[in-house]
Amino acid sequence: MIDEPWRRRREFDRFDWYFCAIILALSAIGVLTIYSVTAERAGTRFPLYLKQAIWIGVGALAFLAVSRIDYRTLARWSFPLYGFALLLLVVVLFGGKASHGAQRWIALGPLAFQPAEFVKIPLLLVLAVYYSTQNRRGWWHRMIVPALITVPGFFLILKQPDLGSSLSFLSIYVTLLLVVGVKSKAFGVVLLSALMLFPFAWSELWGSLHDYQKERILSFVNPDYDPGGRGYQGMQSRIAVGSGQLIGKGFHSGTQTQFKFLPEGHTDFIFAVLAEEWGFLGGVLFISLFLALLLMGLDIAAKAKDSLGALLAIGLVGMLTFNMAVNVGMTIGLAPIVGIPLPLLSYGGSATIMTMAGLGLLFGVKMARHKLSP
Amino acid sequence: MNRSFTKEEVKAAGEGTGRRAFIGLCFLFGFIILFLRFGYLQVLQAETMKLKARQQHEKPITLASNRGAIVDRQGKPLALNLDVSSVYATPSSIDDPAGVAHQLTQVLGVPREPLEKRLRAERDFVWVQRKIEDAQVKRLNDLDLPGIDVVVESRRFYPKGTLLAHVLGFAGIDSQGLEGLENGYDKHLRGQVRQVVLQQDALGRIIIPENRRKPQPLSGHAISLTIDEVIQYMAEEALDQAVQATKARGGAVLVMVPKTGQMLAWALRPTFDPNHIPQASPEQWRNRGVTDPYEPGSTLKVILAAAALETNSITPDTLLYAGDGEVPISGTVIHDHEKAGWLTFREAVQRSSNVAFVKMSWDLGKEQVYQFLRTFGFGEKTGIDLPGESIGILRRPDQWSLRTLPSLAIGQEIAVTPLQLLTAVSAIANEGWLMKPFLVREISDQQGRSVWEHVPHIRRRPISAETAKTVTDLLVNVVERGTGKRAAVPGYRVAGKTGTAQKVDSETGTYSSTKFVGSFVGFVPADDPQLAILVVIDEPQGPAWGGVVAAPVFRKVAEQALRYLSVAPGDESRMVASRSSS
Repeated sequence: MIDEPWRRRREFDRFDWYFCAIILALSAIGVLTIYSVTAERAGTRFPLYLKQAIWIGVGALAFLAVSRIDYRTLARWSFPLYGFALLLLVVVLFGGKASHGAQRWIALGPLAFQPAEFVKIPLLLVLAVYYSTQNRRGWWHRMIVPALITVPGFFLILKQPDLGSSLSFLSIYVTLLLVVGVKSKAFGVVLLSALMLFPFAWSELWGSLHDYQKERILSFVNPDYDPGGRGYQGMQSRIAVGSGQLIGKGFHSGTQTQFKFLPEGHTDFIFAVLAEEWGFLGGVLFISLFLALLLMGLDIAAKAKDSLGALLAIGLVGMLTFNMAVNVGMTIGLAPIVGIPLPLLSYGGSATIMTMAGLGLLFGVKMARHKLSP
Repeated sequence: MNRSFTKEEVKAAGEGTGRRAFIGLCFLFGFIILFLRFGYLQVLQAETMKLKARQQHEKPITLASNRGAIVDRQGKPLALNLDVSSVYATPSSIDDPAGVAHQLTQVLGVPREPLEKRLRAERDFVWVQRKIEDAQVKRLNDLDLPGIDVVVESRRFYPKGTLLAHVLGFAGIDSQGLEGLENGYDKHLRGQVRQVVLQQDALGRIIIPENRRKPQPLSGHAISLTIDEVIQYMAEEALDQAVQATKARGGAVLVMVPKTGQMLAWALRPTFDPNHIPQASPEQWRNRGVTDPYEPGSTLKVILAAAALETNSITPDTLLYAGDGEVPISGTVIHDHEKAGWLTFREAVQRSSNVAFVKMSWDLGKEQVYQFLRTFGFGEKTGIDLPGESIGILRRPDQWSLRTLPSLAIGQEIAVTPLQLLTAVSAIANEGWLMKPFLVREISDQQGRSVWEHVPHIRRRPISAETAKTVTDLLVNVVERGTGKRAAVPGYRVAGKTGTAQKVDSETGTYSSTKFVGSFVGFVPADDPQLAILVVIDEPQGPAWGGVVAAPVFRKVAEQALRYLSVAPGDESRMVASRSSS
């Protein structure tokens, strides 16, 4: 029957403490940075940094809840969960709340949430279950079937449009595919056919992108291509980071941030704020903390009790790595600006709760290995 | 087959293709690139980026000084700067034009619909309302509406309206002095322009850190005038009454302290309100006291009398033959008001006998008359601190016709500015010393420290003290017994001379028989002159005699001003300067 991992496990070990401490530290950095950017924003009765603190609280509850449930129980519910999440995405497409020209939200009384965030973990569960429950030999079973599972969610998110979330969603599939492994011949066939199909797919895909998305990609490929000042965000972000220099301008003193030259300082470009106010040292400290968390995740994956646990862990680490790398990358000019929030730091309820729940899942995998095998 | 991968199988698969190592390497490599790029931006590019950041958030602005004030000799303000607040909107940063318009309507009382339309405009800047009240500014600040801001503009204000308008002049929108003292002392009033670097946000709005004060503009220097607001008011009132009573075209009353050259009052009609320049015309704001020469007529006889006495070619008791009241001069005849026969020089002045003065001028000769007129300051600028001063018209003797000398004797064929005449007469009141007239007494800085003081300046001495005394006696006689009786001030000895000049008709080029200038120039008390006053009434309707239209104005201004200055009758009179320093 279902074992209760928490009852039989021993006390929190040092690893567990570090794991939770890093999560808390990163969350705290996020709240402080959001405070720094939005403290002066007038007319808000409920300041954003306080809201974010509440989201982190809710996320912590999700973390505890998810880590207590045996991931194998969750795995059993993976397909219904994924199906439900896809349904929500369909709802968003037809009845969602629009903001900034994209329809991404479902209003729930005074609150609103982004189903695109909540579909990620069900996908991870589904794919992990898929890869771990059968002997998936051959490129059809290894690549195409999971791709078909992923594609509906991917396109529903892309259609909102939310390029960033859809890529982040896709990263789960790509991570698991890379880990499970595809014979190089099969990989080559897919790559070749993808290249052959590309010209046909391109017009369709490119046509489905919004103008601002196209411009972002173009301005990344060619920084001089800047028709409507779209490169502005990237440029402002690099100026904010660069002018932070070695030790930064100090808390609440970043000129580019405080004077609103940097757009979206509390969401997508929160790392630029961090780097401007705390400099190279602050940025390196943050990345190191994050790296430590990811390495701990990899360690959990490596020592996981079964392949399902390992795949869940690796998939989650892969997604976090992707989100973090792309977000920091776009902040410092290494990646196109696709609108991916920085996990644990960027302001946003849905993303924060999802990330915390995912980390709870990771923690659950770690905990499971301490309990006795059935 | 239907079984799970074991952990070993996954591991084996990964190791089998070297994929795990590959993924690990990618991971490592990715982070190294991230760190490198990060270091490149923040360490290697740091200075460049810092410079770019500064270019964005630092805004060097030119801060003009607040224009300095103009005050009278008692420190009463005549021109000053007022801060007025105006509201403007940045439509692009207003999300809810209807709501914002509604709130603005409640505070400012402006109609809502046109305002809302303006707030929806595709522009970066629209005025909401210019010049709003302080209370409204406070309410707007409390509301803190997005995209709505208040700017403070400094505006020139002349609290006394038309008072002294011609002397003050006016300043333009950007604090540039355009006329009068505003123009002449523009450099001092305007003050320095300061460059300050302020912080701005992405919308170009100036951000002032809470712990720092907003940089205040410096103030230009303040200037204190020699004008006394009270005497100025007396002069303007008396002039107004005279101009209205005689339906004159205009007029002037200038009051000077003869011993120093300080101007106490400067009233001109027609006038204008410097607060409302668009409604005024250059005709109204011309400072005719210095810009428009006119033919002085008999008032110039004061100068000729002084010249004759100084050269000892005559004494007050010298007998002159005025004959049957006319004298022929090269084809025309100069008349007297009445026949006189033989009369003394004193009587000639008293009656303003043209014939006697023509004959006297022949005795003096061209050169001497010309030289004396020049030494009394005609044909040159008085040097007063006002822009646009005219030198008048006085031709050199080699350009004179046969008629010029006798014409000069009666104040024709010469054009003088009112100020030139008053300055010349003041020399007689000042024991022969010709002073430079001036209007600005002192210039002081923002803290009220004096940075410059106007010291009375002697230009030269055309006549001796003795001659001056003799001329004064002749002029006292004019007021006591002659044409200037209506200028007499009870209790004081007044010295003065009337003048009634025909104007030259601009159409025919000959002297008009209907257009006159009635004037009176004099000083009081005669023994220790405190005030020199010139009254000019331009084109009065009805009797135009200077002794009728101008002398009473002199009397009214002199009487009030003497009382105001507490000048004792006779020798015990006090200096005006001692009052101003108290």
